[in-house]
This record gives sequence, structure tokens and C-alpha cells, in this order.
Amino acid sequence: MGATFVVVLREGFEAALLLGIVYAYLAQIGHAESRRYVTLGGALAVLASVVMGIAVSVLSGPLADVGPDLIALAVIFGAVVLLTWHGWWMGRHARELRGELQRRVDAAHASQQLWMVGLIAFTGVFREGAETVLFLWGLMTQLQDVSGWTALAGGAAGLVTAAVLGWLVFQGGRRLSVQRFFGVTSLFILLLAAGLFSAGIGRLQGIGVLPGGDPLWDTSWLLDDHGGVGGFLAGLIGYRARPSALEVAGYVVYLAAASLLFFPGLYGRGTHRNGDVIEPAQTSRA
Amino acid sequence: MKRLLTSSVLLVAALAVLASAPRVQAQDKTTEVPLTAANQAFQPAEVKVKAGQPFVLVVTNNDPKKSIEVENKDLRIEKVVPAGKTVKIRVRGLKPGSYVFVDDFNQSAKFKVVAE
Repeated sequence: MGATFVVVLREGFEAALLLGIVYAYLAQIGHAESRRYVTLGGALAVLASVVMGIAVSVLSGPLADVGPDLIALAVIFGAVVLLTWHGWWMGRHARELRGELQRRVDAAHASQQLWMVGLIAFTGVFREGAETVLFLWGLMTQLQDVSGWTALAGGAAGLVTAAVLGWLVFQGGRRLSVQRFFGVTSLFILLLAAGLFSAGIGRLQGIGVLPGGDPLWDTSWLLDDHGGVGGFLAGLIGYRARPSALEVAGYVVYLAAASLLFFPGLYGRGTHRNGDVIEPAQTSRA
Repeated sequence: MKRLLTSSVLLVAALAVLASAPRVQAQDKTTEVPLTAANQAFQPAEVKVKAGQPFVLVVTNNDPKKSIEVENKDLRIEKVVPAGKTVKIRVRGLKPGSYVFVDDFNQSAKFKVVAE
């Protein structure tokens, strides 16, 4: 029971965190009604995971060998493209989201962009979804004996715990100040996308499409990326204890290039830091 | 939005080409390393490969019900092998040394790849 609890919790943790953050984001910007995008994105991801789980069990040969890799890569890089585009859009419209008007974000503009929250939900759930489906499916087929039931109970407890953690993040996120939350959100999306981009490069190296792959450094003595805090950072911002040179390069290059798009004022105004960019450039606050 | 869709489609197509091209070339010379998984263990528990030479792990899961997930985080490999199935896992050329793979669904099942 303990083992299945840990497996399901680990697989569900990242998805629950992302969902908690996204729900809190919507509550913060006064678009709680847009939760349907998140729910839809999450539900579609569960559906896609089940379909993928079935496909992987039924198919064989080359389709089963490379199919899952291709789909995972397409989802990862597709999400990076869409998140980058979203960040660019938000950066361009940052002026509309500032000061007193923050609570009343230009509704039309903002709601045009809220499909992004559905995308984050989809990516978060789908990344580990198919594996979880196959794992739980294996548990379900063993319900003839007592150990099968306790294993299933462990799996269910893992899912519930992941959901509770997501809910706690949601509660915590709602209490952050709106102003700070906007800055943190853009920064978070930037880091999330950089982590995804770097993870995509890592997977391409893993299957030998891109060269290299040996670790550039090893910080696992300090913070392992397998679980706990390291696993948390791995899922959210792409932390790796033993990153390859290309992964590091991809992460840094993406961060540099995308922060220009996300925070257009960042390099022009010298002294301002990330969190302040949502402030109007011309106010007399300083 | 349309341009975005087009570029996403192009990206996916490019990835598909990238992923399939080296595969086709390498098909006849890539070494296949067979392994079976059953009763929460891998057979053999240790395999040897040539250092620097990409290879393919051919993993057969003989358990009638449980799926396994062959994983080595450092090599960025995470691949599910459903119950009763065989899946080929491409692995890049490795530096000399030993690499432990675990079943992520049951961490006590492991095997070691020794590159020399």
C-alpha cells in the first residue's frame, strides 16, 4: 500500500500543484468563472491519458516504441510555443493590467487569453497522465485478493493527498497580493516554459536525436531531483541535479530570449526588477 | 492564432522527421539488448554494452497484469512497458561506467547496464 501511495502521489503531485496555482491565478484576476478552461483542460488531459494508455497497451511495434516519445515531445514543445506566445502577449498588454485597474483587467483582452490556463492544466495533467492510468489499471486487475485492495486504497490515498496539496497551494495563492501575484505569475510561466523547453531537449538527447547528454555538474548531494523539494522544483521550474550541457544552454538561452518578450521593459529601464515590470513605466511612484 | 497553429504543426512535423531519420539509418547496426521483466525483477540483472555505441533495450514485460516503467532519470529515459508487451527503448552512446535502471512502479526491480 505504501509503495502505490508514493507512486500515485509522485505522479499526481505536479499536476495538483499546477492546477492549484492556475485556480488561484483566476481567483486573483477576478476571472473565477474561467475555471471551466482549467477544468476542461484537465478533463481533456485525463481523457487523452486514458486514450494514450489504451493505445500503448494495444499497439505494438514501431508505433508503441516511438509513438509515446513523439507525443510527449509534441506536447512539451507545443506548450513551450503557446506559453511563450502568451507571455509575449501579456508583456505587450502589461500596461492594461497595472495599478488601480488590476482587478478590472480589460475583460475582453484577458478572456481572449485565458485558454492559456487550460493549456497549463492540460500539460500538467497529461505529462504523467498516461503512466498513472497504466499503473492504476494494473492495480485494478488485481482486486481478487486483499493485497490488491490495499494497493488500490494506497493509490486512491495518493491521489487525494495530491489533490489536498493542490488545494493548499490554491488557498495560499489566493492570499498573495494581486500586484505581486501578477509579477510572480509571469515569472512562474517563464520558468515553467524554460523548464519544459529544457526537458524537451533532455528527452531528445535521451533518445539520441541530439548529441551529448553527460551531466555538466552534479548537485544531487545538495538537492536531489527525485522527490521532496527537488522533485517539486523539477516539476515546476525544471530543476535538474545532473543537467546536460545542452539542457543548461537551452534553459539559459530560453530564459534570456523569452524574458525580453515577457518583460519588455526589463532591459530598457535598467534599475527595475522583474516583479516591477507590471508597474506603469511612466508613473511617478519611484 | 492561425500562424501559431501552422508553426505548431511544422514543429511537430520537424520533430517527427528528426526522430525517425536517425532511426532508419541506425536500424541495421544498432545492437539490441533483450531483457525480460517478471515477478518484480529483470532478467538478466546486468547487461554489457559497448561504450559510446547507441543501443536499443528490448524489454519484454512477462507479467500478465502489471505494467512497468523503465526509468533512468540521468539518461532521461522513462518508458512504460504494458503487461505482456515488448517495447524498444533507444539509449544514446554511454561513457564507460554502470547505469542502474529501475521500474518506477516498483522501485525494488532494477537492472544494470555496464558500458565498457
